[in-house]
Amino acid sequence: MNPIPISMLIFYLFAGIAVLSAIMVIASNNPVRGVLFLVVTFIASSGMWMMAQAEFLSLILVLVYVGAVMTLFLFVVMMINIELTSQKRKFSYYLPFGAGIILLLVLMMLIALHPQYFSFGSMPSGVLPKGANTELLGKVLYTNYAYPFIVAGVLLLTAIIAAISLVHRRPRDCKSQQVTEQIKTRRELRVRIVNLPSEKKED
Amino acid sequence: MNFQFPHFSAALPEIFLLSMTCLVLLTELFMKYSRSVVYVLSQVALLGTAILFILGFNNISYTTFNGHLIFDALGSLLGIFICIIACIAFIYAKHYTRDRNIPNEYYILGLFSTLGMLVMVTAQSFLMIYLGLELLSLPLYAMVALQKDSPTATEAAMKYFVMGAIASGMLLYGLSLLYGVSGSLNLPAVASAITTMPEKQHLVLVFALVFVIAGLGFKLAAAPFHMWAPDVYTGAPTAVTAFLASAPKIAALGMAFRLLITALPQIVSQWHELLIILSVLSITIGNVIAIAQSNLKRMLAYSAIAHIGYMLLGLLSGNAQGYSAALFYILVYSIMSVGGFGMIVLLSRRGFEAENIEDFKGLNSRNPWLAFMMMLLMLSMAGVPPTVGFFAKLLVLKAVVQTQMVWLAVFAVLLAIVGAFYYLRVIKTMYFDAPGDPTPIACASDTRLMISINSLALLVLGIFPGALLEVCRVAFGL
Amino acid sequence: MNQYLYHVVLGIVLAPLAGSLIAGLFRNQIGRLGAQYATILGVFISFALSLFVAKAIWLDGISPKDFLGYIWMSGNTIFPFTFKVGFLIDRLSALMMVVVTFVSLLVHIYSIGYMADDDGYQRFFSYISLFTFAMLMLVTADNFLQLFFGWEGVGLVSYLLIGFWFKKESAIQGNLKAFLVNRVGDFGFILGIAVIFTYVGNLDYAAVFSHATELAADKISLFSGTSWSVVTVICILLFVGAMGKSAQVPLHVWLPESMEGPTPISALIHAATMVTAGVFMVARMSPLYELSQTALTLVIVIGATGALFTGLLAIVMNDIKRVVAYSTLSQLGYMMVAMGASAYSAGIFHLATHACFKALLFLGAGSVIMAMHHEQDMRKMGGLWKRMPITYICFLIGTLALCAIPPFAGFYSKDTIIEAAQLSTIPGASYAYYCVLIGAFVTALYSFRAFFLTFHGKPRMDHHTFEHVHETPWVVWVPLVLLAIPSVLLGAFLISPMLYDTHTVLGNSVTVLSQHNVLAEMKHEFHGALAMIPHALLTVTFWLVIAGIFVAWLAYIKMPNLPGWFAQRFSLLYRVFVDKYGFDALNQMVFVKGTKNFGNALFKIGDRKIIDGFFVNGSGISVRWIALRARLAESGYLYHYVTAMILGLLIFLFIMLTSGVID
Repeated sequence: MNPIPISMLIFYLFAGIAVLSAIMVIASNNPVRGVLFLVVTFIASSGMWMMAQAEFLSLILVLVYVGAVMTLFLFVVMMINIELTSQKRKFSYYLPFGAGIILLLVLMMLIALHPQYFSFGSMPSGVLPKGANTELLGKVLYTNYAYPFIVAGVLLLTAIIAAISLVHRRPRDCKSQQVTEQIKTRRELRVRIVNLPSEKKED
Repeated sequence: MNFQFPHFSAALPEIFLLSMTCLVLLTELFMKYSRSVVYVLSQVALLGTAILFILGFNNISYTTFNGHLIFDALGSLLGIFICIIACIAFIYAKHYTRDRNIPNEYYILGLFSTLGMLVMVTAQSFLMIYLGLELLSLPLYAMVALQKDSPTATEAAMKYFVMGAIASGMLLYGLSLLYGVSGSLNLPAVASAITTMPEKQHLVLVFALVFVIAGLGFKLAAAPFHMWAPDVYTGAPTAVTAFLASAPKIAALGMAFRLLITALPQIVSQWHELLIILSVLSITIGNVIAIAQSNLKRMLAYSAIAHIGYMLLGLLSGNAQGYSAALFYILVYSIMSVGGFGMIVLLSRRGFEAENIEDFKGLNSRNPWLAFMMMLLMLSMAGVPPTVGFFAKLLVLKAVVQTQMVWLAVFAVLLAIVGAFYYLRVIKTMYFDAPGDPTPIACASDTRLMISINSLALLVLGIFPGALLEVCRVAFGL
Repeated sequence: MNQYLYHVVLGIVLAPLAGSLIAGLFRNQIGRLGAQYATILGVFISFALSLFVAKAIWLDGISPKDFLGYIWMSGNTIFPFTFKVGFLIDRLSALMMVVVTFVSLLVHIYSIGYMADDDGYQRFFSYISLFTFAMLMLVTADNFLQLFFGWEGVGLVSYLLIGFWFKKESAIQGNLKAFLVNRVGDFGFILGIAVIFTYVGNLDYAAVFSHATELAADKISLFSGTSWSVVTVICILLFVGAMGKSAQVPLHVWLPESMEGPTPISALIHAATMVTAGVFMVARMSPLYELSQTALTLVIVIGATGALFTGLLAIVMNDIKRVVAYSTLSQLGYMMVAMGASAYSAGIFHLATHACFKALLFLGAGSVIMAMHHEQDMRKMGGLWKRMPITYICFLIGTLALCAIPPFAGFYSKDTIIEAAQLSTIPGASYAYYCVLIGAFVTALYSFRAFFLTFHGKPRMDHHTFEHVHETPWVVWVPLVLLAIPSVLLGAFLISPMLYDTHTVLGNSVTVLSQHNVLAEMKHEFHGALAMIPHALLTVTFWLVIAGIFVAWLAYIKMPNLPGWFAQRFSLLYRVFVDKYGFDALNQMVFVKGTKNFGNALFKIGDRKIIDGFFVNGSGISVRWIALRARLAESGYLYHYVTAMILGLLIFLFIMLTSGVID
């Protein structure tokens, strides 16, 4: 029996952590814990990417998701203070059903996606071209993948607009001056000259 | 690294639309009271894009941008119709959005969504298909929720978003598996990789295919992935429904063409089988449940499911004639669909949505012209000659019969008769019931003109279907 | 030249349509005068251009042209049939165009006077122009689909015009009857087209005719054990259509009823043009009919029966228009006899002369009716000749032409038909010969009866009315005169070019097999139009006609009691005639009542109980029930929806993987 290479061991370690913590994300009752488990999932995936020599992606995952997105998420979750209502009852009520579905799905995946069906002959070679990962990525992104890159940019822009348009509310009870209206006004709209007959002194 | 400079002319319509959209965005930001300017600019953007497509329409076909984008007749044709249908939906939305304080983002998000559709129908790689799909869907989720004071809209948006995300996940999973076995993102490359693949690996392909079909089915709202459609159609503001029920269907069919025909022609017998199930379920569920609806928007949602079932009949036949028939069907359907929701928009006013079938009572005595237009729409949906709906159904049924599946054609015709019931009920309500609200209908002249063109187009195309048939034929190089 | 001619043809067909649309859609804007001028101008343009085409065809001798107008539908591979609009311009269609536009133009002008005080003035003009358009589409068609379009188009306008006075009960009855009877004919017609489409896969005349011999060889088994040639089936089915449109026995019952429409319509549609569409169609389809002896026999027998027996009915009619209507039936029978005897040219020749003199008779009758303030009963007329001299002379010319007195137009055409029937070797030809021969006597009898009753004898209306009868205005009598001229001359001028010259008027537009070619035999004995006149004095036909006129004179001028005595003496025969051989009663009893009872039975048992009770309501209820249940699945809960999606996915996976593993 061949000894298992150390790299394989590390891979399974990270993969195990990723799967387990992902399960915990949806299983934990406390949202803060859920977010923290998500952070763990990201870190584990980052480790796997590092194993695949994709150091740029690995680092960017940690920087952007763990460093920025998740922190923001954590703040939000803490601030809105979600009630820890017990979803337990419903959860256990649906659990057998859900578990059955998952079991079936996994079974079918085991049948269909058995490793023997994947030939690595058609895969891109494991050896990367020479050069820093970042540089290589940059070269590809701005040449062969320029079109998807731009569209992805547009997608992000759209997401920003969509998000803003949904949450942005014009202040309702705020009184502001309508300068144009003020300038456009005419005398007749503001002043009414009334002709009052002068009172005569009654003698 | 071999880098070929791309042909930018192939992406000219998309580039134009993106530039115009950014212009609209800036206009909205810096001009106060910019509603009409934004509206006009959006229409210019859509029409300009359509014109660019029309000018570029020809038989040559080539890929560029490193094989991410294909320029061909099919993509151009779908692009033309997507732009025109979006343009019609915007016309219907003009007064509706103003009266209900739906912000200008309706147009901006609509334009981005249209851009996503164009990207999707001209995509030639999994990456572009996925990006296009997301760019198409994301603005739609937001558009549904744009009417912030409506709780039903918010609920609908939430459902749409969650289910859309799940469906995207399924599609993405399927695509990643395909990438895994073929080692390429490029659609023709995937197809050629499959031809050299040993037979045993086809199990993976089939597994991936099911996920891909699930993603497609969701976007098309084909049963059993249709559950979002009735709730979203009903909950969304009608102007948004008019948009999301029409143009995205064309794009979804475009995606199906690209994925199934370009990338997976070798496993046609497998997806043929899956599509039969989808089609039978959609036709049955759509036509039967629509009968029980009293809400017109909901009824149209189920009718949309049934129509998609009929369209799939053309697609599943697996030959170029069938594809043309499906294309013809979806183009016709999008015209009918945008018209149907447009009619609801037209009859609604601030504080009142004419979305129940009861609201159409005695429409003939209130406004005979609009009643006639609605009748044309309904007849076309039911597939009654001389409207073009008849031709659309005839062509897909013919395609099915030619593939020796007479039972399926008979089944489809029988359920079409069931379907005719609820369309004719609307006509009966309009013509034979006493109006509940005798006030004459006041509607803006541009909307009125548009609905007239929209409905009469169904009649004219029904009498002269030659030109549309011809372009559908050319799109598949027949 | 080709492109040029194409535009001319387009102008011919579309000018009346334009006139009709203007008069119909903008009737309030343009008023009575506008409608009248727009339509007359349209038809005039059409007539002038038709003459131009006729000149190009006959004088310049250009070959037949088949223009492609517009491809209506062609899906190449996704819809592998081509439906199109096209124009076949050859000698036959050129002749028909001239006849149709000429009569139509005169009827338009005549209508100015006849319809002068009618409320539906614009509507009337719009309809008759529309009719002209449809008729031109019919005669210029180069494929069966367009033929069918024109066929149904003229039928529709005919229906609209018979019921033009839609407040009159009898008019509504009449148009309903015309419509229903034509449905029967059209059903056969469209079946015929369907058979052609099934066997040839193409509806172009050229393509169908080029397959004619194969069609004749193909066999079709209609009932088990019988075997029919496909071409026979096609011809018979098409002829059923012609029987409806050209009012052949037994589908003739609608034509007398159609007289409820305005008289100009009777002249244009129910005498000169539309009813001859069936004759035209048979001539057009001559390459098919020639190959089927059975169909030709059917044509000649049906035609001959109509020619004699409907003529007999005209003797007992009292309504002046009905007499002319029955005479039309009889003359249509003559034309069909010519078709059946393969003397297509003779039939079309009679069609052309008949169009002139029958339109003349109708318009003359209309002129009388106008003068009599819409009184149509001949028993209330008499002695009008002094009051209306122009109408009198014109009507006389028409009557002489109808009776085939030389040298009037009808003589040449009818005499040829009788002779052709005599020479024909088709089974049934001898029956046809005796029918048309006796028919000549009958024709003379009824037409002079009408003539004497109307214009001679003592005035049978009250004195006051008679004093007020006077000649009609010029818009009415000018068309009469214009029609009277060809009624006299057309026959003598046309007979030689039409039938016997080396290049006949119809040329190769019609196909005649050599063994059927009776006209070729007759050619040997033909020595010019004038020579026919003295020759006629020696024929049986001529003396039968003279006898007919004499009997009419005897019975209605000399001894006015004779008819009454005759009717009493032969009361059974008289009843049979008055009841029109019982066709109406038969229709009423068997078809109308029978259909009603059958329908009622179906309604009560089939519809109410089985379909409504079981299928419609039953399935409706069950579908509703299912729908209401299924609706519950739409709970509105997101997790239900997602579960449904995932379950769907799972089931799909299961199906695909099991089938994959088993494979």
